[in-house]
Amino acid sequence: MPTLVIPPPYRGPTQGRDRIEVAGRSVRECLAAADALHPGLLAMIVDAGGALHRFNRLFRNGDPLQGDVLAAPLADGDELELLSAIAGG
Amino acid sequence: MAEGLADKMIRVDMTALTATTEPFPAAWRLLGGRALSARILRDECDPKCDPLGPGNVLVLAPGVLAGTSAPTSGRISVGGKSPLTGGIKEANAGGNPGQDLQKLGYRVIVVKGKPADPDKRYGLEVDATGVRVVPADDTKGLWNYALCERLYQRYPQSASFMSIGPAGEMQLSGASVACTDEKGRPARHAARGGLGAVMGSKGLKYVAIDAGKLAVRSPAVRKDFFAYAKEYTKAYQAGPQMFKWGTSSVVPVANMLNTFPYKNRTEGQSPDAATLDGKRIVESFETRGGGMHNCMTGCIVQCSNVVHDKDGNYKTSALEFETLTLLGANCGIASWEDVADLDRLCDELGLDTIETGAAIAIYMDSGGMEFGDAEGAKRILREIAEGTELGRAIGNGAVAIGKKRGHERVPVAKGQALPAWDPRPLKATGVTYCTSPMGADHTAGLIINPGMPPTEYARASQESQLANAACDSSGFCQFLQPNMEDIAKYYSLYTGENVTREQIAEMAWQCLADEWAFNDGAGFTAADDRLADCLVEEGVGPNHGMKFDVPADIIAAAKQRFEPREELYKLKATG
Repeated sequence: MPTLVIPPPYRGPTQGRDRIEVAGRSVRECLAAADALHPGLLAMIVDAGGALHRFNRLFRNGDPLQGDVLAAPLADGDELELLSAIAGG
Repeated sequence: MAEGLADKMIRVDMTALTATTEPFPAAWRLLGGRALSARILRDECDPKCDPLGPGNVLVLAPGVLAGTSAPTSGRISVGGKSPLTGGIKEANAGGNPGQDLQKLGYRVIVVKGKPADPDKRYGLEVDATGVRVVPADDTKGLWNYALCERLYQRYPQSASFMSIGPAGEMQLSGASVACTDEKGRPARHAARGGLGAVMGSKGLKYVAIDAGKLAVRSPAVRKDFFAYAKEYTKAYQAGPQMFKWGTSSVVPVANMLNTFPYKNRTEGQSPDAATLDGKRIVESFETRGGGMHNCMTGCIVQCSNVVHDKDGNYKTSALEFETLTLLGANCGIASWEDVADLDRLCDELGLDTIETGAAIAIYMDSGGMEFGDAEGAKRILREIAEGTELGRAIGNGAVAIGKKRGHERVPVAKGQALPAWDPRPLKATGVTYCTSPMGADHTAGLIINPGMPPTEYARASQESQLANAACDSSGFCQFLQPNMEDIAKYYSLYTGENVTREQIAEMAWQCLADEWAFNDGAGFTAADDRLADCLVEEGVGPNHGMKFDVPADIIAAAKQRFEPREELYKLKATG
């Protein structure tokens, strides 16, 4: 299964867990699966229209996803890392 | 130390109105910024002194690397006993004064005493020919922007300035010390803790620093230093650049995390997050001009926005997340343009936007005016300059206006208003607010991790406090996010000594220890390591269920030193 890596600001719904294994063949499916396990997580990642929030970035095995990132395919063993542009102020 | 100029320090006696220079002690060679300020205050200031009396010591200390070609490294610490908290205070600012002092070889300015005549004003001149205290009665009462315009008529365009506005002259506890940015605007403030009042109490209206055409300081291991700085810059620019659009772009995420306080922190989210979102400011660049810039020479972060009005004229810089929160959402004010006006007024008067925003919100919450009354808030700020009773109470901060109004919801720690980052969803940050010698100050140790288990709060807070103390001593900006390994390498190449990451951690701990010792001497006890009752009893978030419920033993543990672990050395400063 792919692994979703959660940044510190979004670990409220995951009760502090920084990595979650989730079933799915695309980013969208994996995020939906993660939200089923940890309700509230998806709303932090995508907006009401279902698009990635502008302050989030997704990386697959270390490479930034471009274009329709939610449709990007994921395979077993892939690591999907979420990065949030939040720090300080 | 580095090649070239010998390190010196400036001592100013405002009783005798003299300024002298002396060699900088070799024992302090690796101390700068916050750590240097803490050491000087520990050694030379009676913690029981009157913060506005002659016994208080005002310290202006650039970071170790200020004035070098290390990127984003020119910050300066302003230190002293705070009239707001009654404890030690360090407020850190960008702009060019820190770099200019270091280019001249000055590692610190130490100001003591107080003029016999409180109505007199003075300036301190620092340039290649020496240092002088000069009369400056003609600048009395000037707002910061008008003051700097006048100073640029008197001093070369290459000069930078540190100054106070009317709030500092009136010795109000929310007063800041302004630093001119790269464009010569007094827009960068050492804001927290009322150190502008300390400067005002000494009759010092401004410090003018002119490094002329002096080059940056020369490192001991020149070639490797320059190569490392280049490599470091390249790596930063290839990274996520979290502050590309300024700190104000954090608004929607903070709102989502229930740390965008609304109406005197009675809620953690604001219905006006969209209109206060920094994205609106970025959008305004298209039609009005303005944009992002670096607040000091050599900055690669460039997080500072320049905000223009509808006619395309400069209004203020920088409109930060903290200001949008405290003077915006926390006061129920929905328009970023109104907050820009309030920000400009605070910069003009020389006031901390966090403390002032919190004070206005308390005034509103206590029935003094309606939440959301932006014009009323602007009127109050103008009253501060007029010295009215209400204006003075607001200018003296959250606790002062709470007392005046007999209002109990006063969200503070150690007498200082909380910044935007809320300790109820971010409990480890709350532990920082309780235990930091600075009181409620997010730059002392911010941890944005709402899912952190309680067993980790104490260590996380301590490690964050250490990382930030190391950063604030180096001259680096916290937004560059250097860690202790980075700082050790820079120090090694700059000084020619083998400075280890363990030494950096030790110096950071010693900085905190010096500050805690000062506060102990000032009369603080463990009973002061707490947040205001309203933050413990009133929640935010779903069903108002997020409260600051961290047990006292966990809070106390943050002040007991943990064995350093690998993660400490790699932890990025964040504030």
